[in-house]
Amino acid sequence: MEYFKSGLKTVLGSQDPDQQPSGAETVERLVERVQSSTLLDDRRDACRALKALSRKYRVEVGAQGMDVLRFILETDKADCEIIGYALDTLCNVMSPNLFDEEENSEEQQALLHIGEQFTEMFLKRQENVTLVLSFLEEYDFKVRWPALKLLAVLLSNRLRDIQEIILVSPMGVSKLMDLLGDSREVIRNDTLLLLIQLTKSNANIQKIVAFENAFDRLFDVIVEEGCADGGIVVEDCFILMLNLLKNNSSNQNFFKEGSYIQKLCPMFALPPEGSDETCWGPQKVAILLCVLQVVRCLVSPANPGQVTLSCQKSLYSSGIFQALSSILMASGVPVNFLTEAICTLSEVVRGNQHNQQHFANVMAPINPPREAIIILLMSMVNEKQSFILRCSVLYCFQCYLFKNEVGQAQVVQTLLSPSYEDSNLVTCGQLLCSGLYSHDSLSNWLSAVALSHTLIENPAQRENLLRVLLSPDPNYRPVTLIHQVALLFQQSSKVQSKLGFLILLATWLSHCHLAVKHFLEVPTAIPYLAAQVGSTIGEDDNEELVPGLCAFVMGICILFNDGSASSYNKEALLHLLSNRVGLEVFSAKLCEVSRHEQYSRASKKPQPTATKPDELLLDYEFCKLFKALESMIIKAVNPKEPTNSSTEIVENGLVSEYKDVIREQDKKIAELQSRCDVLEREKGELKNSLEQLSSTMSRISDENTLLKAQLHSGSLQDNNHNLAIQVDGWRAECARKDTTIQSLEAELQRLHFNAIETKNLSSDPPASRESQPHSADLQSEVDRLTNDMDNLMDLLADQDRKLTLYKELLKAHGERIDDDDDTELDSPPPSQQSPEHNIV
Amino acid sequence: MSYAYLFKYIIIGDTGVGKSCLLLQFTDKRFQPVHDLTIGVEFGARMITIDSKYIKLQIWDTAGQEAFRSITRSYYRGAAGALLVYDITRRETFNHLTTWLDDARQHSNSNMVIMLIGNKSDLESRREVKKEEGEAFAREHGLIFMETSAKTAANVEEAFINTAKEIYEKIQEGVFDINNEANGIKIGPQHSPSNSNLSPGSKPPSQPSGCC
Repeated sequence: MEYFKSGLKTVLGSQDPDQQPSGAETVERLVERVQSSTLLDDRRDACRALKALSRKYRVEVGAQGMDVLRFILETDKADCEIIGYALDTLCNVMSPNLFDEEENSEEQQALLHIGEQFTEMFLKRQENVTLVLSFLEEYDFKVRWPALKLLAVLLSNRLRDIQEIILVSPMGVSKLMDLLGDSREVIRNDTLLLLIQLTKSNANIQKIVAFENAFDRLFDVIVEEGCADGGIVVEDCFILMLNLLKNNSSNQNFFKEGSYIQKLCPMFALPPEGSDETCWGPQKVAILLCVLQVVRCLVSPANPGQVTLSCQKSLYSSGIFQALSSILMASGVPVNFLTEAICTLSEVVRGNQHNQQHFANVMAPINPPREAIIILLMSMVNEKQSFILRCSVLYCFQCYLFKNEVGQAQVVQTLLSPSYEDSNLVTCGQLLCSGLYSHDSLSNWLSAVALSHTLIENPAQRENLLRVLLSPDPNYRPVTLIHQVALLFQQSSKVQSKLGFLILLATWLSHCHLAVKHFLEVPTAIPYLAAQVGSTIGEDDNEELVPGLCAFVMGICILFNDGSASSYNKEALLHLLSNRVGLEVFSAKLCEVSRHEQYSRASKKPQPTATKPDELLLDYEFCKLFKALESMIIKAVNPKEPTNSSTEIVENGLVSEYKDVIREQDKKIAELQSRCDVLEREKGELKNSLEQLSSTMSRISDENTLLKAQLHSGSLQDNNHNLAIQVDGWRAECARKDTTIQSLEAELQRLHFNAIETKNLSSDPPASRESQPHSADLQSEVDRLTNDMDNLMDLLADQDRKLTLYKELLKAHGERIDDDDDTELDSPPPSQQSPEHNIV
Repeated sequence: MSYAYLFKYIIIGDTGVGKSCLLLQFTDKRFQPVHDLTIGVEFGARMITIDSKYIKLQIWDTAGQEAFRSITRSYYRGAAGALLVYDITRRETFNHLTTWLDDARQHSNSNMVIMLIGNKSDLESRREVKKEEGEAFAREHGLIFMETSAKTAANVEEAFINTAKEIYEKIQEGVFDINNEANGIKIGPQHSPSNSNLSPGSKPPSQPSGCC
């Protein structure tokens, strides 16, 4: 403090001891000095003094100095020392923590949020953050470190804002990532802490950090620091890794593709056999728990199935599956780590047939060797084991059986044909059944739920399990397991046990008529259930669940009832329900289940989340079943009020149907639209080609006419020749006609002669009498012939005309025509012909 | 599977030009007709062989929307190759190429290999940008050019592999500093810097077993 005072004196000049200036005044003078000094040394000294005062007089320094300090950052970049002071001062002003100097002050309460308020002021200008980021590039420790600290302070005050600013400032993240390679450990470690803050629930920053080779750098640091035996820095590395991977499937994919999973493997190396417990120090356990978290977020049931599946594969091939199995069976492993390891292995196995198969074959290193599953189940039904361990074993068993029909069948099989020849060796089934009989309600619950997981989505095992016979007391004849469970349920007085048995029964009876039949044949089962539904014991909140679950089991008995159990067919059960319980009460109790806190808790994720034994009441898979069947049961037991609900359901059905139809139509429309487009285009193309074709057509026809014209002129000679031939033909015809005319004329004369003769004959009466008809005949003949001749004459004239026409034509084409013909046919005189002839 | 080199790529270009589809076609060999907007960036990877060497491609598919532009910029510096994609049926995506290229040149290392890709070549009838225009743009700016179809997978392999070949050649020429990971190039685990000066024709790592 003395030094500080002397420092002040040098800056402010010596003061009269009587007139000690107040803090505010000092700050004011210092700020003024920073602002007005022309000498860098003066400004630097003033800054140093401000820094010294910034803890005690935080409000004053912040309120008056903020702008000046920013001014220094902008103008005095060249001087590392002054920049360092300015950054440190800002850091103090905005710090979210109270300083020792402030702790006893009266305004302690007011000071709590002062850092945040100054941060807000500082962030009014976004460039300020960019400015601070730019100082990260300065290698000088005096600048880089305070800049880093200031960023950390800003981040802790205003995470979202700073994330956004860094995201959009060019190379913002890159600059930070470069610091991870800084050889000065302080910088590197602080950068790690800063990055852990920065990557909190911001997928974009997480991806950029991963892109900037974060995983490589982190593994470098981890190896440098001694892997699992390293200190808190290694833990920080894994915390950052976890931040980058959690709920970020792009980064998970990158992690897997970059073969980083393999790099996790050495972390799980077990300490050498016989080493003492000190090898499991708290730091090592903390690191390993982090590594397990990293593995778990790669295979989390909440991930997209594809990512989980491929990561499970990699985890097996990289040897981590094996390493985890060894941890499970190793001795001296701290229970919290063991529990987490079991849960991790569970999720590595969950739903992956290959890994499930290998898990079934994991043997415990004991003599004689036993399957690890048996050892685990032994711990589960062992009251002395810790609660979290027993829960984790249940989770492990559930994950092993998840979508694993073979595994489910194997467990059920151990109950159907117990290995009598080896009676010392207990089986899975026997362990679970012994758990059902246990006095410990947690064992009952765990065993019942575990057994119910052998039946999930597996109708065959529901029927197989019905054949299981138990003989708890050698003096009595054995009874079936379902009978036994029904009895145990009635006999137990603890909520947890009852719920466990009910969960088992509900899973067993659902979708299985045969199981319902067997259950209904247990004499007291139904009356007891009905009584439970109707009972109104309910001091304990959790006890409300029992009537609800009883109602659920009864509902299942109604829903999956094929009527083969004569005394309790559907109608009988409904009758009993409405008489003994009342349908309203029944529905109310059923609805209470899904409204229960435990229900919403259990349905969140597959792993049981209970932290205390008495909180373990419902199971994830059971909640799924309940959700699926609840409404169906309500519908089944309320057939009398179809007016509202059923029409509503029908309407809903209709609506969804119509929605489907609309969706279908939408699809069709889109299809047609696209087809229409295609056709439109085709049409356009066709039109084009049509135009082309028609233009070619007209061109071709033009050519054609041209060719024709050419052909015409070329073929005139031929044409004339043809015509001449024709004319010859006509001439022959004419001659033929002439002869015919002559013969006809001769005939006519003959006939004429005949007629005269006949006239002569008619003068002779007898003869005329005789020839009268003959004469008439002849007369008509003559008439006819005359007629014929007239016709022929007409024809001849016609022919003549035609002939003349052709001759004209011939002449027109320039053919020489014989003149005799012309004269003969009485054509125009040859004198008129010759000029025409000459023209051609 | 071990690799000789690892190259980091980014895919950039306007929204809806088919960046994610190109990646999906390359890594998964399938096509998704529904346009699912990329938020920020998505990662994909595949192994290829060049010069009988295994080369791992790590590809960051970026969001094309303007809102994500500043995020996208963070990926330029660490990438060895970039696929700059436009849509041949949308002229404006071609017009924006200069902006993209300026952005890339400004923020990347100078050796980054940029491949210009005209995508959706299957939609010939709706084409708005001629192939010659793409070629001319690429020639003018010193890029490699290719028309692809993420739908029919035409040229998709070639686009990614030719980019890798270009990078590989640059490495052989000593243009890239392969020991600086900020260039987006990493030498495989069995090819540590000490023996990285293997002759180009040396045998690839003979470990065909296992799968990435």
